[in-house]
Amino acid sequence: MLVLAVRSLPVRRLPFHREVSAMLIAQVIVNWLLLGSLYAAVALGFSLVWGIMNIVNLAHGAFILVGAYTAYWAFTQLHIDPFLGLPLTMLLLFCLGWVVQYVAINRVIRAPFLVTFLLTFGLDLLIADVVQLLFTSDRRSINTAYSGFGLTLGTLHIPFDRLLAALIAVLLTAALSLFLQRTRTGNAILATGMDRDAARLMGIRIDRIYALTFGLGAALAGAAGAMLVELYPFDPSQGGVFTLRAFVIVVLGGLGTPWGALAGGLVFGLAETVVPLLPGIGPGYDDAIAFALMVLVLIFRPRGILGKAFYA
Amino acid sequence: MNPTEPRSGPGALSEQRGFVSTQPATVSNSSQERQQALLQVDHLESGYDETRVLWDVSLEVRRGELVALIGANGAGKSTLLATLSGLLPAWTGYIRFAGHDITHRRAEEIVRLGLSHVPQGRRLFSALTVEENLLLGAYTRRAGSQQAIKQELEEVYALLPKLRERRRQLAGSLSGGEQQMCAIGRGLMSHPELLLIDELSLGLAPQVVDDLLNALDVIHREKGLSLLLVEQDVQIALERADRAYVLENGHIVLEGTGHELLQNERVRTAYLGA
Ligand SMILES: Nc1ncnc2c1ncn2[C@@H]1O[C@H](COP(=O)(O)OP(=O)(O)O)[C@@H](O)[C@H]1O
Ligand SMILES: [Mg+2]
Repeated sequence: MLVLAVRSLPVRRLPFHREVSAMLIAQVIVNWLLLGSLYAAVALGFSLVWGIMNIVNLAHGAFILVGAYTAYWAFTQLHIDPFLGLPLTMLLLFCLGWVVQYVAINRVIRAPFLVTFLLTFGLDLLIADVVQLLFTSDRRSINTAYSGFGLTLGTLHIPFDRLLAALIAVLLTAALSLFLQRTRTGNAILATGMDRDAARLMGIRIDRIYALTFGLGAALAGAAGAMLVELYPFDPSQGGVFTLRAFVIVVLGGLGTPWGALAGGLVFGLAETVVPLLPGIGPGYDDAIAFALMVLVLIFRPRGILGKAFYA
Repeated sequence: MNPTEPRSGPGALSEQRGFVSTQPATVSNSSQERQQALLQVDHLESGYDETRVLWDVSLEVRRGELVALIGANGAGKSTLLATLSGLLPAWTGYIRFAGHDITHRRAEEIVRLGLSHVPQGRRLFSALTVEENLLLGAYTRRAGSQQAIKQELEEVYALLPKLRERRRQLAGSLSGGEQQMCAIGRGLMSHPELLLIDELSLGLAPQVVDDLLNALDVIHREKGLSLLLVEQDVQIALERADRAYVLENGHIVLEGTGHELLQNERVRTAYLGA
């Protein structure tokens, strides 16, 4: 039922025609891929933290918020382009996530699920309040020199900023996957997620692994926020919306792998781009459609589309 | 036990493990150390939350020894091993390993001192490959010791050739025997002085158990690795062990050489069905 509360991003709607032209189909597919990939970025960090630490991080949306406002602040005060400033935003969010995990969540990591739930919920409220205090509750948006520009092929239009955001989202997914699979530290993160005590027997300092994982999750959320604020107007009330979406996307795509976030993001994106154009459906049912998709996936693949028993 | 120190050959290897090698310099050193136990446990108590499992447990493992720990299901063998390796906190008592007081050390530190624990049920990282599992066993080796890690990996593959064949396979897809090999190989990758193995033969075919025991024999004899073996096949355990302890309801009730215990009336009736 949570999904029904999800508000949709203001996506430009294409009118429904009885005769759908090839160009329109192509445009819809492009819109879908761009939006779906962006949604992958929204869910990536959430998926990592849930998969490895078994924490449903209710402060995920708050980290997205901090990322968005960091990018906004850097753009308006320092004239740093949100895309170019991405590494900096991510570094800042990594530090924030690392500290939060190390001082707060590590203390309750063995506590029941509800405790971490409440803790991250409190954190979410705290961060959202601080953001509101610093930036007021006004809607903010960024207009770069290239806003509104894009590639045009006939009637097909691909905005630069959306394309870049989608590419970065896919790149982040691939980078996270490679990092986990191919590096010593990445393997230690996976091992800790699979069997905490066995990981300790290997000499892995799991408190540090958790802090690192949580930091990475926050950094990825920050990246998503910085890209979102470039594409859509933002205000401090939106954190919860994105936490909810990340949750749905991860359930759709499956918990086992970063690619699950991409799969889930693409399926979630369907609800706002492709499905409304199908004959007899029409716009206005995004949330119902997303919910229906989630139910379908849960019926036919309870683990999610790419879900595995372990995070790998 | 400097983990970054590159090893140059079998000589260096045995020296690090305190093995009585043919080199005179290490002989005097080792014989001195042999007076003192590698692992010394005094009046240990431990358990889970409110439940006390171990009562006043004292035992020792000397350098180069194979010590067996036997006892019925639920006697507390796994609890004892988990307390030794730092997974569980000790309530009272004293644990000394290789000259360090490890009573209140954490598992992450204890493995760095050279005590490696192969847990019951193997506890492999099943979604990772065999080789990834083995390399995680060498996690305590710092960066820069790539060469040493590679060499250790080769030694493990030489000892357990099946693992080399399976190295790209996911650990979860291995047979029970291969999983146990992988778990032991992983335990050896940290280059331990003492290896704790919990339920080596549980659920495995006799042929597989033989292979595993022979492989352990090799590192035990040739490289002087000390072993503390929890084994439900009491016959096998006591035949191979230098010394053994019998744990009942969290108390050590008997100790002696493997042969003494094999002859012991209580052991014969309770554990050998004689
Ligand atoms: N995680 C646990 N929590 C609570 N009690 C446990 C736990 N593991 C084992 N026990 C209890 O501790 C006692 C000893 O168990 P264990 O050490 O596993 O015995 P063994 O390895 O000799 O079969 C048993 O009574 C068992 O029920
Ligand atoms: Mg046991």
